[in-house]
Amino acid sequence: MTISAKLDDLTIMVAGQGGDGSLTVMNVLSELFGRRGYHLYKSRNVASRIKGGIAAAQMRASVISRGCTGDQIDLVVAFDQEAVTNVGADLSPDAVVVFDSSDKPLDRRNLADSVRVIEIPFGRYAVRDLRRDLFKNSMSFGVISQLMNIDQDEAEDCLRHTLHRLPERVLLPNIDSFADGRKFALADKIASGGYPWHLERVTRAKHLMINGNDAIAFGFMAAGGRFFCGYPITPATEILEWLQKHLPAMGGVAMQAEDELAAINIALGAAMTGVRTMTATSSPGFSLMAEGISHSGSAEIPLVITNSQRAGPSTGMPTKPEQSDIAMMIHCGNGEFPRVVLAPGDPGDCFKIGAAATNLAQRIQGPVIIAVDQAVAQDARSVTPFDLEAVEPHDGARMSEDALQAMATYRRYELNPSGVSPWAVPGTKGGMSLVTGNERNEWGLVTTVPAKRREMMEKRAAKIDHVRADLPKGIRGGDRAARVGIIGCGMQSGVIAEASERLNARGTPVQYLQVRTLWPVLDETAEFIRSCDHVYVVEHNGEGQLAHLLDGHGAFGNLRSLTKNDGVPFRCADLVRHIATFEANTMHGDAA
Amino acid sequence: MTITFTPSHPIWCAGCGHFGVKNAIVNALAAIDQPAHDTMVLAGIGCSGTIQNNIDSYGYHALHGRVLPTALGVKLANPDLMVIAAGGDGDGYAIGAGHLVHAFKRNPSVVYVLMNNGIYGLTKGQRSPTAEQIDPTTERSIDGISLGLSIPGSSFLARAYSGAADQLNAVMVAALQHAAAGRGFAFVEVMSPCVTYNDTYADWSGRVTDVTAMEGYDPTSRIAAFSTVHTLAEQGRIPTGLIYQSDAPSYESAWKKEGFNVPARIDVSRSIHQNSYSSIMEKYAF
Ligand SMILES: Cc1ncc(C[n+]2csc(CCOP(=O)(O)OP(=O)(O)O)c2C)c(N)n1
Ligand code: SF4
Ligand SMILES: [Mg+2]
Repeated sequence: MTISAKLDDLTIMVAGQGGDGSLTVMNVLSELFGRRGYHLYKSRNVASRIKGGIAAAQMRASVISRGCTGDQIDLVVAFDQEAVTNVGADLSPDAVVVFDSSDKPLDRRNLADSVRVIEIPFGRYAVRDLRRDLFKNSMSFGVISQLMNIDQDEAEDCLRHTLHRLPERVLLPNIDSFADGRKFALADKIASGGYPWHLERVTRAKHLMINGNDAIAFGFMAAGGRFFCGYPITPATEILEWLQKHLPAMGGVAMQAEDELAAINIALGAAMTGVRTMTATSSPGFSLMAEGISHSGSAEIPLVITNSQRAGPSTGMPTKPEQSDIAMMIHCGNGEFPRVVLAPGDPGDCFKIGAAATNLAQRIQGPVIIAVDQAVAQDARSVTPFDLEAVEPHDGARMSEDALQAMATYRRYELNPSGVSPWAVPGTKGGMSLVTGNERNEWGLVTTVPAKRREMMEKRAAKIDHVRADLPKGIRGGDRAARVGIIGCGMQSGVIAEASERLNARGTPVQYLQVRTLWPVLDETAEFIRSCDHVYVVEHNGEGQLAHLLDGHGAFGNLRSLTKNDGVPFRCADLVRHIATFEANTMHGDAA
Repeated sequence: MTITFTPSHPIWCAGCGHFGVKNAIVNALAAIDQPAHDTMVLAGIGCSGTIQNNIDSYGYHALHGRVLPTALGVKLANPDLMVIAAGGDGDGYAIGAGHLVHAFKRNPSVVYVLMNNGIYGLTKGQRSPTAEQIDPTTERSIDGISLGLSIPGSSFLARAYSGAADQLNAVMVAALQHAAAGRGFAFVEVMSPCVTYNDTYADWSGRVTDVTAMEGYDPTSRIAAFSTVHTLAEQGRIPTGLIYQSDAPSYESAWKKEGFNVPARIDVSRSIHQNSYSSIMEKYAF
């Protein structure tokens, strides 16, 4: 952002020691920007503990909807020095730092001279005048609102709205400290340069502000999901919490198991009774579930498994995003069995895919994995309202009591061309059957006869073809005639779309494909790759797992891997620079 | 009548203790008039883990050690089913021991029949967590009954011996009744000798002691049960019979509050629920 009369795209960070409540100021700012018609992309960057350590929240407010944070930070509200030191290099040249100097003045050694600083001892004033450190949030909002030329009434209304749950005796001192903040800002010497920031006021249709985990849970429920079992783990826990909040009211169950082995087996048990079931976890928990996933594939039990990936290996970095479980999700579990792996790119997509996965699991009677990363899972974004009407629960092939009665024989694992054998859930008269993970005959009795084994393997494999046409298609954009492609999924979706926009604008024609079905690899993905001279595969891991996957499925050596695994999402500007540089070199090479 | 799967004949070695267990389950189901289609028998992995193939009901072959979580999932999703979990001592006391602790704690109305033979039968005779009698100099055994007694939620703890059919049958009927009445987790450990790798008939026949036959024994007293179990153990006896029974609330009863709707049978058509979904979505309006 360059400071101009109007702000249509800016990134704000609020940082302080975890547990000091510093992040609440972000909620007031969301309210303010929301009322002005901006779109928001919010990410948290908390250490995996409640108190202590740097906690930061970041928000991009833009007039155009964006799927990632901005390149640089334009405004920082910092409640301690460490926060400013850490963020220094990411500031835009004309950024403003609002600093709480209660302890000592800001050491601005690593800040560019052009960065402007407003130092106010918020904490000290709040304690002195209002006897409570926490009021510093409202005070800092007062400063910012003044900085952005928001008039007092509008700003105060946003604050009141955000704090409306507080009792009057706590609300009032917050309003006072907000007003004090505005006075401090006016008195500050930055005033001599005036306050050049003016927020836009635009109209946009009603949106939702939601994160990916909540949206997956919602999509699952909307598609008839009524049983959930999980074990708490960052960054997947919100799914458990959301469903514990909402499923009981719908007559369903959302329970916390004693571990991930129990979670997936409880889920398998529930799923066998016919209720649409999901479990969710994050990477280390997902590895524990591998045996159960294979069992779902073998025994033919419909189950949705969400993996909100963290940075690995092992316990890794619980609060940081990574896409390093791609290979595991596609191959984990012993043996070979049909499965589907879907990767939504934003909360709106999480809802759609949460619902689609729930129906697909019923239709293939097997495991459907939803692959998200910490950024998609936990970043909240404004998205268009969910299309509830578009979701209708699908039962797959079931056997009713009447249908059973009309049959001469019923075999649970009957062979048929679709590979999907209609099933009777326990409690259905006349449908008694055996369900097993062992190789079996049509009745469910264990067998190792080679011919039967071949038939059963073929039957299960056929199920994917039966649903292939309905697997979520990717999202394409950019210059359709371009010979240079970009592929990404999940947290890369917003970045590659924006990078493509910028590259095309600066004369480097590119097109992009956001892949939504990772497994099976869809024909359209292979076709996209073949239609380009070369394709950049952007992913958050070190080994290029998505590129490797595509290499084995339709690519012909024309992939260029762009990877990163330090826990920090690609910045759009960096991606643009990488690709533009590569392309310039390629052109140079061609000429030579 | 539709022809569907018919129970197969057990594949166990002649003389295996598991035969008695299977017979007791079949008899008990008949004794309480339990309809086959409303019954689900889930088994672990092991010789014991083939028992579901031999009983007229819905059957499931769980992963090794995971029969209890699976059974819990079935019960919670459809509390109207009679859910019987069965497995070996390796399945329940080794790889699945963690789940047993939580089953006692939660107390779902599931019958759990653990066939204790002191060894791993299917994998050909390795030590199990109750192998003490094979080599008493090393690790001591796990005692499932004492474990259950130590957990406040437990509500039905019994042991029987496959070589004493009458007592085994009686205990099994009581266990099924406990679960059918929604009273919670009915744990039955059956001493079930493996004639091939650990033939303990002669040894166990001389040591089993029916606590119900002891004068003044009160199965509703946790303290008395604990004391009796340990006193007998010190004398080298194996306490059997209905050792403890209580009225601890069952796990599924906690879910059967207002709103609970037998998840397996909820009509999830969109038209029925769309208003609820819309009002939840409204909370995210921005
Ligand atoms: C995850 C896993 N580990 C190991 C095995 C191999 N295995 C099969 S049965 C068994 C032990 C069975 O012993 P027990 O539960 O006592 O049953 P029994 O055969 O004695 O009735 C083992 C270790 C397996 N099937 N799965
Ligand atoms: S090996 Fe032992 S446990 Fe297995 S069937 Fe034979 S006697 Fe029974
Ligand atoms: Mg055994």
